Amino acid sequence: MSRLAGVAVVALVAVAVGFVLAGQVKAQLLTPSNQVARYQALVRSVQELESANAGERRQIADLRAQIDALESDAAARSATTQALRNQVSDLRAHAGLVAMHGPGVEVILRDGAPGPDSGSGTGYLVNFEDVQDVVNLLFAQGAEAVAVSGRRITPLSAFSGSEGQIAIDQGQPLASPVKIDAIGDRNRMVAALDDPSSLPGVRARQVQFSLHLTFEGLPDISVPASDSSLQVPHVTSS
Amino acid sequence: MSRRPRARRPPVRVRGLSVWLIALLVALVATIQIRSQAEVERSLVGVDTTSLAFLIDDLHSANDALASQKADLISLRATLQSGQSGAADQVLTDEAQRLRAIDGLIPVQGPGIVMEVDARGLTALDLQDALNNFMAARAEAIDVNDHRVVTGVAVEQDGGNVTIGGAVVSPPWTISVIGDPVKLAEVADLMTQQLLADRRVRAAGYRTENDIVISSVISEKPFVYAIPS
Repeated sequence: MSRLAGVAVVALVAVAVGFVLAGQVKAQLLTPSNQVARYQALVRSVQELESANAGERRQIADLRAQIDALESDAAARSATTQALRNQVSDLRAHAGLVAMHGPGVEVILRDGAPGPDSGSGTGYLVNFEDVQDVVNLLFAQGAEAVAVSGRRITPLSAFSGSEGQIAIDQGQPLASPVKIDAIGDRNRMVAALDDPSSLPGVRARQVQFSLHLTFEGLPDISVPASDSSLQVPHVTSS
Repeated sequence: MSRRPRARRPPVRVRGLSVWLIALLVALVATIQIRSQAEVERSLVGVDTTSLAFLIDDLHSANDALASQKADLISLRATLQSGQSGAADQVLTDEAQRLRAIDGLIPVQGPGIVMEVDARGLTALDLQDALNNFMAARAEAIDVNDHRVVTGVAVEQDGGNVTIGGAVVSPPWTISVIGDPVKLAEVADLMTQQLLADRRVRAAGYRTENDIVISSVISEKPFVYAIPS
């Protein structure tokens, strides 16, 4: 027993020493300048907001699951409620609020290398327009459900971002490599991605900056349900 | 007088093992600490302060929108938990109607903006970008020349024509957007300035309206490949 306690104390001390050591190393690495301090403060703000963002999205997913369970309970008691619930389930699936799986394609977009010319800008980075173009192409080829690096695309989804950051809806920005999963006719989607005339912007930068675009058809892929906001406060049915 | 029993010292091998274990633990914790910090900061390395400021602004707006959605869901859950007669049916009926509006399956109305663009040579990519700009401003329903558009509806180039869901949409384009009129007007203003600087554009402008009616709808497509998980 006492030996066990001894081991626990040793482990605790070791962990504490590790923390102190790491803190010291990090402190030593910081350059004592106001500019760096300001930059660090901004980075900290981003990190805090991103953490809050992830928390809010997790809670939204939990709440949707709880509501689904409550609706299921109510539906078990009434045929009318069950019929309504079936309708809503189908509408939710089309709105990207239900996790789906099926055959499809997986597309990977990865940053290339900066050109030798320093003025060549950020063309080597995957940007939100690249992702938007791939997603549009897949939808045009009949994709039934699409997710970008685990972020489900909904009928109200928007793409934005700057300098290699890709923001989708209210999620925190994504960066390369970006994985796009689409469920649908994989042969049709692969053929469209293979077509040299498709995605002209990406293909030009494949040559210039070695931007990576790879894809493969898969027999079963999964896309999660959306955890973003789908509020429409200004719209009423007419 | 009894002799005090001598504490039994662990054998040398065990002591050696303990030292190695401590060293390993220290190294492990230190490495995890330093690497996790580096991992978090890696994604932001090279991002200038202006971009970081914009990122902070965007994240604030996003988190506000998520908090508002969360509040709605909490209220919905409370209604369902109340167990009042017909509560679930009412929730489901309202939800179905709201989802039909989101999916573009029913006519809708509300405040927003109407943008008109007369141009020759604009492509599907130009229209996709314009629609995405409105979506990023939280558009809730969009129509282009009596064709309903949601993310997922194909906007494609077919030779010299732009098509929406397979139907040719010839200029001039009238883009009706329902949503927060202030946010939408900000975006429409910027887009109008950009469009007017484009030589292909003959005319571009927008107006805000209190009640825009969008009658076009999308026909619902059944899932063929996708199965709920």
